[in-house]
Amino acid sequence: MTKSSLTGKFLLVATSTLALVAGAATAQDVSCPIRIGALAPLSAPGTVVGGEAMRDAMLIAEEDINAAGGVLGCGIEVVIGDSEGLPERAVAIMERLITQDGVVAVGGGYHSSVGVASKDVANDRGIPVVFAETWNDTITGDKQKYIFRIAPLSSWTSNIIWEFALTVPGVEKVAILTENTDYGIPASQETAKGLNENGVESVIFSVDIGTQDYSGIVNRIMAEDPDMIITLVTGEAAYNFTQQAADAGIGPLDIPFQTGQDALESGAYWENVPDGQYAFVQRIGVPESQFTEKGKAFAAVYKERTGKSDVESYAMEAYDSIAILAQAIEEAGSTDGDAIVMALEDIRHEGTLGTIYFDYGLKRDPSEDGKGDEWWHQWPDPAITMIQYQVEGQSSTEAAIVYPEAYKTADPVFVNQ
Amino acid sequence: METPGIFWGVIGWMIAWGIAGSLLLRQRYFARDLDTTNAGFVGAMAGAALGPVALIALWARTPQLTGRIIVGVTLLAVVLIAAAFAFADPQNNCVSNGEFVASQITNGLIIGIIYGFMALGLTLIFSILGVVSFAHGEFYMIGGMLVYYLTAVWLPGLNPLAAVVAACAIAMLIGATFERLMLTPMYHGRVDRPVEYGILATFGLAFTLQYLVQALHGASPVKAQRFIDFPRWEWPAEAAAPLVQTRRGSIEFFDLVTISNPRFVAAVTCILVLLALLFFLHRTWQGRALRAVAQDREAAAIAGIDPDKMNMLAFALGGMIAALAGALLVQAFSWLPQVGAIPAMRSFVIVVLGGLGSLPGAFIGGILVGLVEAAGTGCIPNAQKAASYIPAYGMIVLTLTLLLRPTGLFGRRFAGGAHGQF
Repeated sequence: MTKSSLTGKFLLVATSTLALVAGAATAQDVSCPIRIGALAPLSAPGTVVGGEAMRDAMLIAEEDINAAGGVLGCGIEVVIGDSEGLPERAVAIMERLITQDGVVAVGGGYHSSVGVASKDVANDRGIPVVFAETWNDTITGDKQKYIFRIAPLSSWTSNIIWEFALTVPGVEKVAILTENTDYGIPASQETAKGLNENGVESVIFSVDIGTQDYSGIVNRIMAEDPDMIITLVTGEAAYNFTQQAADAGIGPLDIPFQTGQDALESGAYWENVPDGQYAFVQRIGVPESQFTEKGKAFAAVYKERTGKSDVESYAMEAYDSIAILAQAIEEAGSTDGDAIVMALEDIRHEGTLGTIYFDYGLKRDPSEDGKGDEWWHQWPDPAITMIQYQVEGQSSTEAAIVYPEAYKTADPVFVNQ
Repeated sequence: METPGIFWGVIGWMIAWGIAGSLLLRQRYFARDLDTTNAGFVGAMAGAALGPVALIALWARTPQLTGRIIVGVTLLAVVLIAAAFAFADPQNNCVSNGEFVASQITNGLIIGIIYGFMALGLTLIFSILGVVSFAHGEFYMIGGMLVYYLTAVWLPGLNPLAAVVAACAIAMLIGATFERLMLTPMYHGRVDRPVEYGILATFGLAFTLQYLVQALHGASPVKAQRFIDFPRWEWPAEAAAPLVQTRRGSIEFFDLVTISNPRFVAAVTCILVLLALLFFLHRTWQGRALRAVAQDREAAAIAGIDPDKMNMLAFALGGMIAALAGALLVQAFSWLPQVGAIPAMRSFVIVVLGGLGSLPGAFIGGILVGLVEAAGTGCIPNAQKAASYIPAYGMIVLTLTLLLRPTGLFGRRFAGGAHGQF
């Protein structure tokens, strides 16, 4: 045995020993399993169907991450908190997740009002949050250190809605039905503003979430004689409105009609809205044919697990919100909130929705590029498309993408033309 | 609104004279040792409608305040509000569009009948047991869910009528079983606070039913197919504008008002079942026994009626009524485990508005709430706010009514029984 080989072996052993010691030191800092909080509305008046989809997705994320070896040598545990869609409940749940359950970060979140109310709690306690499906601009617009979002901005999705509405032939007046929440109110106002600036009149009707009977509202919308109807309502309320409008002769079969995003679960949509053919639906994320490999794998497991015919975009966002936090903790090498924030600001996460990253934050302010505060810790690239159910009973993954041009697979059918 | 000053001026005038009338007339009737039960209400309505003229007349004559006087002055007040609104906002759909008004009134009546029917079950339970059932919304949910599963999942092709009957029977069975197992300790001094115990027990039932269904079914909304398709029919036949015409999914009256098939079927069924219920309560031994217990529990027991059995019957019937409302509406609305929350809340409002323990009060209260909601949704000039305030309209009517008549529209101040009389 030569001297050099002995020295090499010594160095190898020494390096391995150091690595083991360092690993042990890291493991001592982290208590296993690493707990990640997950917000979802699982009780009324929240949108329970959305909450259950997100919960299922986040639990699949937990399984996938643990099957791949976990994080920092530990398994992760996703602790679900039922927000009930209520701001006051969201604050209490966020407190409980952080102080009692000991979560190191939080994902999920469906209702904007939940995000708006609970973000301050997490930020004050130094716990990073990646919101999955809360669209209200102020969630990131307050430029809080620990708050991130992978859902699109409300103002941004509204732009797509009114830009699409302007392509409807002969549109002069649009009726907008919105829920009176932190999601619906700003989204309807931004949509109306975009329409009005382009010479299209609009009239907004707002309702409580969970409204069942729309007969009076439908009657009033009919009296307005709109050329198009836009629905900014979540959950079964959108199904109720769409079918009741159809019963009254102003449904998707009668005039251009954009229904709520929950129509993406096409099995439930067709059961609840049998007269829903030709409805337009806004979809976050690309169509299933263009999913990433991770997206395809998740969609297969999700459909098998839930028995659903489609995977909803908010389920994918929920999955990604947990997965990106796991990657950030791994890259931070710690469960410390500040370290996770630094890791998130530098991250490139290959998620089900695509490559997720955050352009702006502590290292670069959005104003440096002339952008508004809402772009702080905001993923800038979620694809937003408008699909149309052109065939009765069609699955949302097979539905035609009619807007924007970049994703278009078919021309829209305008039923009143 | 073109001239809001006119409208709000009239409303201010009505409020001022209404308050004056309520206080003065109650004091006057009290001073003359007359029945003051309706004095405040009539004084307020008369003052609001006719101002000092009516108050001076009533003050001077202090007539017996009959139903005609009560209804008359109330209608006058409503007409005055409507007239002021019409002058202030002549372009409003509620003023200028007759078809719109007819449709809104029809919508209000249809949904009001269904509201009132559901509230009947709640008031029936309260009349006999003295307990407000917080599981009423869950019975409503169970009724719809059972019809969906029976017709779409378990026995596809089953006649919807059979499914509705089965759902009602199962709901009755659940109600009767729960009452026997959980509520009997209330009756025999086995719990310190029986009313609070009853409320908490029904709360427990509500949570159990809701989360049991959520665990078994999940949270996806479902909907039953339309129970029946109307045949294409017109009357008079081949008229240019038929008085009634039906299509598969709707019925149209006077070439003016269209009602969707599921709502029409639900409302007509509710009326038929209400008539059957009235027959049961007034013409059968069990019905009379129920009424007797509601009037005076001890006297009924002395007469050979077992009040405990009536408790079970009342709770089972009340649950069945809510389940029937749900079973009829599952073809109109999307259904999920939480669907009962809003109808239950509305039932509480209606029951208090109509008068605790009053069956006519519950039904008329339901129609009143339905009409007020339709008027608010249709007439408030700001479209955005009109629909936002739907849950508040009933509460406003309830608050005003309770201010003027604390027992509700048909409630009695001194019920002979423990809880009321129907």
